[in-house]
Amino acid sequence: MRNCAFVVTALLALAISPVDSTNAADIVWSGLVMAENVPQPAPIPAELTRIEETLKELFGYNQFQVIGQSRKTLKTGEEDWLASSKYFALHVDARGETETGYVLNLKLFKERELLLETDTKLNKRSPLVIKGPQVGGGQLLLVLVVQ
Amino acid sequence: MKTFEQKWTAWLDGQLSGKELVNFEASLPDKAAAEAERRAAKKLGALLKEQLGAQALTNEEFFSHQLRERIGRETASQDRHGGRSTWWTVRRLAWSGAASLAAFVICAVFVLRDRNPGEQSQYLTQILNARVDPAVSPNATISMFETKEDKVTVLWVEGLQSLPADYAAK
Repeated sequence: MRNCAFVVTALLALAISPVDSTNAADIVWSGLVMAENVPQPAPIPAELTRIEETLKELFGYNQFQVIGQSRKTLKTGEEDWLASSKYFALHVDARGETETGYVLNLKLFKERELLLETDTKLNKRSPLVIKGPQVGGGQLLLVLVVQ
Repeated sequence: MKTFEQKWTAWLDGQLSGKELVNFEASLPDKAAAEAERRAAKKLGALLKEQLGAQALTNEEFFSHQLRERIGRETASQDRHGGRSTWWTVRRLAWSGAASLAAFVICAVFVLRDRNPGEQSQYLTQILNARVDPAVSPNATISMFETKEDKVTVLWVEGLQSLPADYAAK
């Protein structure tokens, strides 16, 4: 009987306790991705494999190539970093942890010009995709994934 | 053709009649002794009948008593067994109820965590705010949504200034 009560209590404790407590050593991958339609699309980068179908359905392109990226290990949740290509730069400023991820301030620059700024709570289970400007016949996308 | 013995038995039982009775009684060597013997046989028969009847009644009571005893024992046994069984059942029912309630709470917690209608789930990336420079992109609009399949949060910005293909360079 005591064992039964213990098991019930343990299950309750397991249910109530946070499942997604943030690990201080999470890696955040941030990428500048060019989406285009080409006759012979290159394989999708490994970082985007998980959301390949969603990207294709949402944006209607068959090729996604990384033109700039950064892989940052977050230890304090207060780091900042830059993912940049020749003309674009994505500045990411981590502003602390949440129960399930990180609060991030994102700024997209075209050269020195600020195009877009956003604050997000990035969840480790939920990638973030931002539709950027049209570039030629393609589309610039910003992707952030907690790995 | 009946033998004398058969006729004698029938006569004793009073089953002879008519000519057969007359002929048989005429054939008796000592009718008075025969009558006495018949009376004695009837008396014995009555006595036996009475005794056998009493014996049968005694057996009936005996079996009835036995049955009552057995029924009483079984009833008492059932009551004892039934009482214990009921007690265990109630106890088990209580524990089963508690376990079911705990399981329900666990499931409810998990379900509510995953589905929180009316507000963004804590398991999805949330856009707290977003803005574009109106001087650079005056017609830009911003919207946001999540995809259910792979929990992707999308910040959809329309109207940003289009750029030439050169800007796709790495």
